[in-house]
Amino acid sequence: MRKIKQLLENFNTLYIEEYKTTWVKTKLSTADDLLMVAKALKEHGLRTIATVSPTDFLEENVIEMNYFFEDLMTNRNCWLKCDVPRELDECEIESLTPLFKGANWHEREAYSMFGVRFLNHPDLRPIIVSQDFYDKTPFRKDFDWDAHDKNTVKNMQKIVDSFKAEEAEADKGIDAESSETVLNWGPTHPASGPIRLKVHCDGEDVIGIDPDIGFVWRALEHLVTKKDFVGAIVAVERLCFMDNVNSMTAYAQAVEEIANVEITEFAKWMRVLLGEVSRISSHAMGMGGFYNALGLHTVAMWNMDVREFFLDFLESYSGARIATAAVEPGGVRYGLQQNMLDELQLALDKFDATKDSVKDIFINNPTMKMRASKQGFISNLDVQDYSLCGVVARASGVKIDVRIDEPYAAYAEIKMDYVTQKDGSAKDRLINLFEELEQSVDIIKQAKRHIEEKIASGEFDPTKDQMVKVPKKLPRGEAISRVEWSRGEVLMHLVTEEKGTSPYRLKMKAPSFNHTMMLDKLLAGQTLSDIPLVFGSLYICQGDLDR
Amino acid sequence: MLKIYDFFAHAKSESLWMAHFCTGCCSLEMAAAMGPRYDWERYGYLPTPTPRQADLLIITGLVSKKMLPALLRTYAQMPEPKYVLALGACSFDGGPYNDSLSVIKNPTEILPADIFVAGCPPRPEAIIAGLEEIKKKMKAGIPSAASQGGLWKEMEF
Amino acid sequence: MEMIFNVVVFPGILYVLLWTVGLFWFFRKFMAALHKRVGPSFNGPAGSYQTLFDLSKLLTKESITPDGVNPYLFSLMPILAAIIAILPTAVIPWTANTTVVVSEYSLLGLVVLVGIEPFLLFLTGFGSNNKYSFLGGIRVLTQMISMETSFFLAALSPALLFGTLSLTSIVEQSSWLTFLILLPGFLLYFVALLGLLDQPPFNIPDAEQEIVYGFYTEYSGTNYFLLKLAEFAEFMAVFAGAATLFLGGYRGVFFDGFSFLFAKMIIIAMFMMTIRASTPRITMKQMLNFSWSYLVPLSLLNVAWIMFAKIFLLGAIS
Repeated sequence: MRKIKQLLENFNTLYIEEYKTTWVKTKLSTADDLLMVAKALKEHGLRTIATVSPTDFLEENVIEMNYFFEDLMTNRNCWLKCDVPRELDECEIESLTPLFKGANWHEREAYSMFGVRFLNHPDLRPIIVSQDFYDKTPFRKDFDWDAHDKNTVKNMQKIVDSFKAEEAEADKGIDAESSETVLNWGPTHPASGPIRLKVHCDGEDVIGIDPDIGFVWRALEHLVTKKDFVGAIVAVERLCFMDNVNSMTAYAQAVEEIANVEITEFAKWMRVLLGEVSRISSHAMGMGGFYNALGLHTVAMWNMDVREFFLDFLESYSGARIATAAVEPGGVRYGLQQNMLDELQLALDKFDATKDSVKDIFINNPTMKMRASKQGFISNLDVQDYSLCGVVARASGVKIDVRIDEPYAAYAEIKMDYVTQKDGSAKDRLINLFEELEQSVDIIKQAKRHIEEKIASGEFDPTKDQMVKVPKKLPRGEAISRVEWSRGEVLMHLVTEEKGTSPYRLKMKAPSFNHTMMLDKLLAGQTLSDIPLVFGSLYICQGDLDR
Repeated sequence: MLKIYDFFAHAKSESLWMAHFCTGCCSLEMAAAMGPRYDWERYGYLPTPTPRQADLLIITGLVSKKMLPALLRTYAQMPEPKYVLALGACSFDGGPYNDSLSVIKNPTEILPADIFVAGCPPRPEAIIAGLEEIKKKMKAGIPSAASQGGLWKEMEF
Repeated sequence: MEMIFNVVVFPGILYVLLWTVGLFWFFRKFMAALHKRVGPSFNGPAGSYQTLFDLSKLLTKESITPDGVNPYLFSLMPILAAIIAILPTAVIPWTANTTVVVSEYSLLGLVVLVGIEPFLLFLTGFGSNNKYSFLGGIRVLTQMISMETSFFLAALSPALLFGTLSLTSIVEQSSWLTFLILLPGFLLYFVALLGLLDQPPFNIPDAEQEIVYGFYTEYSGTNYFLLKLAEFAEFMAVFAGAATLFLGGYRGVFFDGFSFLFAKMIIIAMFMMTIRASTPRITMKQMLNFSWSYLVPLSLLNVAWIMFAKIFLLGAIS
C-alpha cells in the first residue's frame, strides 16, 4: 500500500488517499499521464484491471473515468480517476487494452455507452447496445431517451437490416471452394441462451469466435437512476436471478457507506445466511448447466431437486422463490422466525443426503474427466490478465475470494478457506463448483448456529433487529462495494448527488463479462464439440453479461 | 370420420412441445417447471431443440430490441398450428424494465400471446396452469391469437 | 392370409407402430424415474397415451419444406429411411414359427439393412440446406464408418460359432455355454449398438448442445414422424438382433415364446437408458480414437476367441 502511494506521488495527482482496507484512491490532474501511471502500476504488480467506469458530470462538463486496478496475488488495489472533456470530438483517452487485455470489452462498453473514444484500441466496435444506439451515447445524462423511443419501428428496422447485411457479408467474404463457414451459435440454440456466438469454423474445427452480446440488455445501470434508493434494488437484483441476494448486498453496502449507516449484527448475519442460500441455488444450476452442455440432464434434475428446498427457505423468508428483494439498504427486509430455520434445516439435510451420490456418479465420472480435463485451460496469468474471478479464477489456483480478502457482512467471523484447484481446466472448474457448494453449506451451518445461539441468549431480536433507517436523501459522495457473488467478484461503483433521491450513477462490474471475453482465446483451434463444454464450464449468465 | 378428426384434434391439444428459446429471466422458472418437483412432462409438455418441431413458443420474460427479430424468426420457423405463451410482467408491459428503452415494452402487441402468466417471475405452478389454459383453448378450437393479427405480420425480420 | 397378417399386424406395420409408441413412452418414463421425476402421467394409465398423442399430432402438423432444398430429396428420404428401418423385422425369428422371410442368410439381411440406415440419415442432413443439418449428416457418416466395422464383426461371431447365417438356426443352437462364449461379442455388439443408434455417449450426430438437432433440424410434421418411426424401428431391429444373436432369442426358461424375446429387448433398452442418464457425450475425435484403437482391435480379437472356443471348447463337447 505504501509503495503504491510512493509510486503515485511521482505523478501529478490531485489527491492520494487510502480507502477501505485494501484500496488507494487517487485522481490524476491530467489524463495524459494515464498510460504511464498504468504502466508503472502494472510493473508494480497490479496486473488486473477490474473495470472501466465513466461517470458523466453534466455541470462540471467532464466525464470522469474510473479505473480499478487490482493485484490478485497480494490483495492491493488502486482506484484511479481522471477527467476527460465531454465534447464528443474531444472525448478521447489512451486505451489500456495493449497493457491490460482485460480492459478490452470494458473500454468498448464505455465507448458504446458514453462515447469515450479510446486511442490505440485494437477493436473499438460498439458492444452490448443494439444497433439503433450505435454512434449515440445512451448513458450520458443529456441523452434524450424519449426522443429515441419515438422511432421504435425505424430502430427495429436498423437491427434487422444490420443482421441481414452481416449475413450477406459473412457469405460473401468466404471462399466458395473452401469449407469455411460462419455458424450463428444462438440465440435460438438449445445450449446458448440469449447470446450469439459467431463461430467461424472449417467443418468441425473452430477458427475463431466473435461473441455478439446484448440480447438481454436492459440498461440496468441507467434504470436505477430513475428509481429511488430502495426501489433500485429491483433493478439490481435482476442483474442475474440465479444469485440475486449477493448483488443486492453489494448495492446496499455502497448506499450504507455513503449514508454512513452501520447495520445491526443480526442483519449482517442474515446477509451471510441468505447470500449463501442464494449462492447454492446458483451453483446448483451452474453444475447442471455444465452437464447439460455435455448432453446429460440428470445432474441438472438432481440438483434442481435439492435447490427447490433452498428456494423454499427463501420463499418462507421473503414470499418469493427467486425475486426475493430480501436485502435492502439498512439491513434485511424481514425478521426471522423459527419455521424459516426449520425449512433451512430440511434443505441442508436434503443436500447432505444426496451429496455423496452426486459425487460418486458425476463428479468422479470417467467420461466427464476424459472430456473436460483437457479442455479450456486457463492459466494463472490469464486470470490476472483478463481479470477473471470467482470459480473460474480459483479453479486455476488463484487465491481470491472477496469474502476473505475484504470481509463484508459477517464473513470476518466465519471459518472458511479458499477453495482452489491446480490446473484450471474445465474439469477443475466443475470440481471447484462442487466443493464450493459444500463450503457454502458449511457456512450456512455456521451462520445458522450462530444466529440460533444469539437468539437464544437474547442478543438478537429477530423481529426488530433487521433494519436500521437509511435516509431517503443521501449526501454527495461515491463508494465502491465488492462482494463475492456466486460467479465471482461484483464491484459496484455508486455515485450520488447532494440531496439525491436516486443513484446518480451505478456501475456494476459483473464477472460473466470478463469470462465471455476469454471464449475466443479458449476455443480457437478446438472443435465444435468443445464450444458448449467450455461455455458451460465458464459459468456464464447472460443476465450479468449484458446488464 | 368425425371421430378420427376428434382424436387428432385431441392429440394435438394434449401434446404441446415448446421451442427451446429463452428471451429473459423467466426461463429460470421454466427450468424449475421441468425439474423434479413440478415436472411438466406429467402433462405431456416437452422441450424440443429446434423450432421446426415445436407447437408452442414461450416468451420467457423480457424481449430486448436485439432479441425481437430472433423471436419473430423463431416463430416464423414453427409449423402451423402454433401458439404463444407469454410469461411474466415483462412480456405484458415491460414489467420492472418498463422505464428502460432497450427493452420492448409490449412484445405481445407485436406477437400476440394466447395466454399471459402473471408474476415476476411466475411460479412454476403458474406456468403449468398457463399451459393448461392453452390446452383448453386448443380443445375449444379457438385459433391462436398471433394468427389473428399483430404487428409481426407487417414487420420484416 | 397369414402373410397379410404378418405384414399388417405382426411383426409388420402395426407392431412397429405399437412398438414405437410403447418404447417412446417407456424411454420417457424410465428416464424420468432416473431424473427423480414422474414422467408422462395424466393421459391414460401412467401416461401411456401421451406418446400416442405426440406421434399422432406430428401427423397432423404442417410439414415445412424449407426454401432452397431439393424437395424431392427432402421428402423422399424420411419415407425411405422408415421403410428400410422396418424391413429387418421381416428376417427376425420372433417366435419359433413366426419369421416372415425364412432365409438361410437372414443374418446378412439384418446387418446390411441396419448398416444402410445411417447413410439415409446422412442424405436427410445433406438435403436440408442447413449448416447444422449438414454437419449432423457428416457426423452420422463418420460414426457409421467407424462403428459399423465392429458391429459387423461382433454380429459375425455367432455366425462363426454356429456355422450358419440363419438367425433361426442360431437361436435353436444357442445354449448357456454358447452364451458365455459369446459374452465378449455381446458386449462389443452393445457398445457398437450405442454408436450405431446415436445413443450417449455416442450421440454425436444429433448433439443438441452442439449442432442443434443434427440432421433432424429442418424436419417437421409428418416427415419428422417418419424419421422418429425409423429411429424406433431401428432400435427394434438392433435390440432384437442382439437378443437373437447372443441371448437366445425367443427361447426361455420353462417355455419358449415371444415374451422372452421382448423381455430381453427391454432389458437391453434399460441398460441403454441407464447409460444415457449417467454418461456425458464424448467428442468426435474421442469417438474415432475409441473406435479404431480399442473397439475394432477387440472385435478382431473376439473373432479369434470365437474360433478358439469353437475348436477347443465346442469341439471337445461334440
